[in-house]
Order: sequence, then C-alpha cells, then structure tokens
Amino acid sequence: MVDFQSSTHRSRWIFSPDELMEKREIANQRATKLLEQFGVTRLDVNVDGSVSYPEPIFDQKDNAERPLPKPLNCEEEQHMRIFYEQKIQEVCQAFKFPHKIQATAIIYFKRFYLQWSVMEHHPKHIMLTCIYASCKVEENHVSAEELGKGIQQDHQIILNNEMVVYQSLGFDLIVYAPYHSIEGFLEDMQEHFHARDEEQEKFKVLLQIAYSEVDKIMLTDAPLLFPPGQLALAALRRSNELHGVLDFEGYLNIILSQQRSVHSASELFEFLNSIYSLVHKLKIPTAKDMRHIDRKLKSCWDPSPDENKKREKRSKHKSKRTASEMQGPHA
Amino acid sequence: MIPASDSAGASAGDEDASFSKRVADRYLKREVLGEGTYGVVFKAIDTKTGQTVAIKKIRLGKYKEGVNFTALREIKLLKEIKDPNIIELIDAFPHKGNLHLVFEFMESDLEAVIRDRNIVLSPADIKSYLQMTLKGLACCHKKWVVHRDMKPNNLLIAADGQLKLADFGLARTFGSPDRKLTHQVFARWYRAPELLYGAKQYGAGVDIWAAGCIFAELLLRRPFMQGTSDIDQLGKIFAAFGTPKPSQWPDMVYLPDYVEYQYVPAPQLRTLFPMASDDTLDLLSKMFTYDPKARITAQQALEHRYFSSVPAPTKPSLLPRPPPKGESQNNKPPDLNSQDGPVVFSPQRKMRRITIPHDGLEAIQIDKADEQTKEVKHSEGAASHSGGMPMSIDLAVVFGTKPPPRPTLNSADRSHLKRKLDLDPDFDFLQRE
Repeated sequence: MVDFQSSTHRSRWIFSPDELMEKREIANQRATKLLEQFGVTRLDVNVDGSVSYPEPIFDQKDNAERPLPKPLNCEEEQHMRIFYEQKIQEVCQAFKFPHKIQATAIIYFKRFYLQWSVMEHHPKHIMLTCIYASCKVEENHVSAEELGKGIQQDHQIILNNEMVVYQSLGFDLIVYAPYHSIEGFLEDMQEHFHARDEEQEKFKVLLQIAYSEVDKIMLTDAPLLFPPGQLALAALRRSNELHGVLDFEGYLNIILSQQRSVHSASELFEFLNSIYSLVHKLKIPTAKDMRHIDRKLKSCWDPSPDENKKREKRSKHKSKRTASEMQGPHA
Repeated sequence: MIPASDSAGASAGDEDASFSKRVADRYLKREVLGEGTYGVVFKAIDTKTGQTVAIKKIRLGKYKEGVNFTALREIKLLKEIKDPNIIELIDAFPHKGNLHLVFEFMESDLEAVIRDRNIVLSPADIKSYLQMTLKGLACCHKKWVVHRDMKPNNLLIAADGQLKLADFGLARTFGSPDRKLTHQVFARWYRAPELLYGAKQYGAGVDIWAAGCIFAELLLRRPFMQGTSDIDQLGKIFAAFGTPKPSQWPDMVYLPDYVEYQYVPAPQLRTLFPMASDDTLDLLSKMFTYDPKARITAQQALEHRYFSSVPAPTKPSLLPRPPPKGESQNNKPPDLNSQDGPVVFSPQRKMRRITIPHDGLEAIQIDKADEQTKEVKHSEGAASHSGGMPMSIDLAVVFGTKPPPRPTLNSADRSHLKRKLDLDPDFDFLQRE
C-alpha cells in the first residue's frame, strides 16, 4: 500500500494535540470512575472482543477499612505507555523483525490507548497482542505460541486480546511507517546530489542514524500528529545535522518546488521543528518511576489476592457489554 | 423499526435459531446465500440505510492462530480501497463469537453470465464487462495490491449492472523488492506462466494474465485454457501462444520451476478467436504477453484503442445478466444437454477454436510426462469429441457436453497454499463440509 493520500491512516488517525489530550482524559476518567464504582479497573476480555465489567468488590464489610486504590493520572499513564512502547522495540529487535513490524505494532498500541486507559487493559497484554497482530497484518506470520514462548508469556493472552485490539483500531489495519519513506528520500537525495561511489558510505551512515532517530520519534506522540513522510524528513534532517552530509534545506526546497506541495517551505520546517521538539521533550521513565507506577497499576488492577478470588467466583454472572458500545474512535 | 422485519424474521429463524434476528442491533438477517471461502454468507437488511447487504460470518476463538487470516486480509485491504468496481466492505464487527463482514449485496457474478445459455453477449457487452474488470484492477494496482484470485465467479455484478472485484482473501501488497510471494495462487486456468514456472517475485502482471483469460472466456463462452495439471496448463498456454523463446522472455530460464518444452509455433490468434475484431485481438495478445515486464498494465489496457473504437461499451445498467442469485438458486440456467430444439447462437458463441494436437506435451522433459499426457488425453476426451482435429468446432460448446469441473483454490492447491502461507485453521473445517 503506497497510497497514503486516500488511506484510513490519513483520514482517521492523524489528530491535533488537543484531540489526543481529550481522548486520553476521557479514558483516564472512565477508568477512575470504574475504580470508584467497583474498586477495581480491570476489564476481562473475551475472544470475540466483548468486555466484561468487574463486579463491585467492596460490598463487603471491609469496605471502610480498606482505602480505595489510587488511580493513575494521565502523566503516569503516559509513562506506562512509553515504557511498553520501548518494550515493543526491544521484543521486535530480539526477534529480528523488520522495522515495519515494530512500527506497525507501536502505532497499533498508540491507537489502542486512545480508546482505553492502561488501567482497563494491561499494557503488557496489549503490547504482545499488538506485536502479534502487526506480524499477521504485515504478512510476516509468527505463531502466537512462538511469540509467547520467546518472551516467556502465556500466548493465550494474545489470542484473547486479538479481537479487542482490532476492534479498538476500528479494523483500520494498514498503517504507514516512516522507515520506508526514509529509504525513498535517501535514494532521491543520492540522485539529487549525484552521489559518487566513494560517498556511499556517508549515505549509509546517514540512513543508520535516521533509523535510530525514527525509533525515538516513534515513542512520542508525533506518529499520531504527523504523516509518516514528515516524520521521515525530521529524522533525516536530524541525522544530517549530526553528520553534515549535505545541504538538507536546499534539498527540501527543491522537492517542494517539484511536488507543487500544498505546504510552503516555512510550514514544512515548522512541522519538522515541532516533531523534533516532541523528541526533545520525550521523557523516558526511569526504573524508579516505573516501580512506583507499576505498584499503583497493580493495586487498581488487582486490589488484593483474596479479593481477587472472590471476584473470580462471581465472574460467571458478570454483566457483559461489547467493546464497541462504550468506545471506538468514531462512535 | 423496519417494516420488512416480519418476513425477514421468519426466514432468519429457520436457518439458525440461536442467532438473533437482528445482528448487532443493526442488520436484519435473511436467507443464507451460500458458503464462502471461509464461512457462511447470508443476506441481510441494514436497518441504518435500508440497503440490502451480504454478511460473511466467521467463527472466532476456535483456532490456534486467532482471527482468520483470509478474513483479516480482506478487511485490511478493503478498508483502504474504495472504488465503484471493487466490492465495498461496509462494516466489520465481532458478534456472539463470530466475526461479521458486511458487504454490499451483489446479485450475480460473471461466471453465471458466461454460463447462462439464455444470455447473448454482444461485442459491446463484452467490452463493458472487461472495462469494469480492468478499472477495478487498475485501482488495486495503483495501490500496489495484487488480487491473485481473478476468475469469473469472483467478479460480482451489482443490481445496477456494475461489475466489482470481490474475494480479496488471497490479495496482498506487492513491490517490496525482497519479499517472497507464493506462486500457488489463482485457480489454475487463470494462472500466469511465471506462476506456473514457480516465480516467487511477481507483480500486477499476474492479474492481467487472468483478466486476459476472462476476456477470452467472455468471447468463447467457456474457460479458455482448461489445464488439468500445472504442466498441462503450461502446455495449453504454449499451444495457444507458442512456446516462449528466451528472446521473448529473458527471465524465464531463471525461474525456479522452469523446464524446457519442445518448441511449438504460435498459431494465428485469429484462428482461436475467428469472430473477434482486430482491436480485440491486439488487446488480447498484449494481455497474454509472456514477459510479465512487457505485459500491458491495467491502465494501459484501459487506454487501448479497443475501448475507444466502436462499438462503445454497453452501459452497465443495460447489460444482459442472469436472474438474481437469491431468486434462481434452485433453478439453474438450462443446460444445453436438456435443450429440446436447436440452440440459437450469437456470433460470439459460434466461435470456433482450434484444438491443438498435444504432441508438444509428450515431449516434456520431465519424468512425469507420461502421466501428464494420459491426464490430458483423458480430459480432452471428456471435454470434446474433436481430440486432435485441427480447426475443428469445439463440440463441447455446441452440444453442451458437461464442462470439466472448474478447479479452484479450494482443491489441493488451496490446501497446499493454506498450509504453506496462511496456517489457516479454517481449512480443515471447510473441507469437511
């Protein structure tokens, strides 16, 4: 698929920063309410994508004695997401998957958590499912069992969550990653600057650095805010700044004039700058941050082991609602 | 509420009692239309739009590899492709343990048109059907999608006469230089020579070859090259277009399953399609170009003189078509066997064809040759009384000898493909039906 212009990616999955904030707040507030109402935020997922709501756990006498677990705030949720997005990159590297798989999995993960809070669906489960789904969609099939085994996780989790992931993505499964665009631009640059053979090495380095810059960009909100071509240019510009291979601005001006682009050069530079400011602002959570957030998430997810058992007993008569009734990007 | 709910409810109830009459509060279920490649297809009314739709129902949660692969391919591609000549995926949703794919409802398909002896196809009608086929393909190829299962019964016909490409379960994107693709695609009769020679990297040309076969089938009113095995298929192709020379198709000798065939010269195309116009033959020969790199593209084909010369293509709404599927399910179009009087043919149907002697095949330089030749003779005997007679009328067409069964990917090919490429857990289930 090369036609980004008519894609669902372009028409439905590029947002403004305000829209992103709003969606995340809605999900966070919903989970917070769940916590107040039920004392737990975990949603059980069925293979057909429907979601079971928890039974209230504090209709017991110990209600008053036990303080309600504290919900995660939006910032903590963000840390959690970034942490697991990094994990996606690690897992994909460990499996030696192509960049495309990794990028698709991260974009699925980002889109999923525009509809849900990490308190409702555990990011570890969703991370695995997104990787599995990405392999499947990109025709690079790895069995759920193999994937689970490779990272010592129960593959049943993946299969249970597969449908809720597709559904939360609105079944828009083709996504555009910046890696391909980088290769395209690089080839074009080589042609444009009449690269000589002895310069090939320089372009190779430029490409490698640009790839690792994209890896960073993928951890920010940029993939939900900008089209992949701009992400690629931002990475290439950064790579060129570090390496000084060529006159990047000159190149951009020329492609803009050739393409009769709807954007002026100054607009494009502004976009590239904002992509980069997102990278500069990116805070990779420390281990200490994560320990704290993870503890909080655990208590929202599973208030206590014995409560959990009680809950499971009653799970047979849980109320069911399908995922689509309460969420979906376009509802 | 929709007024039709009474009748819809009645027909829904007897088919599957456990299924609610309304699917996901939106679709009113009606009769079952058939078994698709991967599940039951039924007719329904979309209460939101009043539109008639076809819903494919795919079981979930039963399989080791989660959501059905074929369904996922179809969803991911059709979500991105919207075109008047490509079937529209209206909705996709899971419901009660099944994944439901909602498509626009289609009345018929091109195979039914070709087979229906009551239908006369004028050159303008054929032009119209081919044009719509190529428009759909051009749209796919523009988006770097190869369909890989082009055949008349995957070309569906809407109530307004528009032909639409359907069944994207084998479709995928192409153009990544290092990706290997399987050559086990298409029903054999529509398979391009590069696939028969085992090519793992190929492009949109495979769809064009198949479209060429469909074009020929519209002219002949029977499948053009009905091979009984892959080897036999190549033999049939070479008999029609001559054994390709390396100068014609330089990459051929490097293909994985390349075997040398004894040289057979190409007969004049006109002898195969005696009633066809020059433009028709020119376009046909360009779609049947051996070298996939030199083969005409869908876009180029649409710009070919054939489409601008007279007669102009028939307006889709005026095209002859068989009675809608739902109504004619149990009364098949009359078979020529059961016809009482003489059959009135349109010029297209009077078409003569040469049956090439299969000398070429006997010289195949592989150990299976004997077996293959036997197969060929056997099938030829069944299909036509005119065995090795050159310039003979195809009696099978005239007298309606039962045509050999159409090979589809549901047979051995599909099982091979599924195992190899899809790990499709549905397969066993479907085969047992």
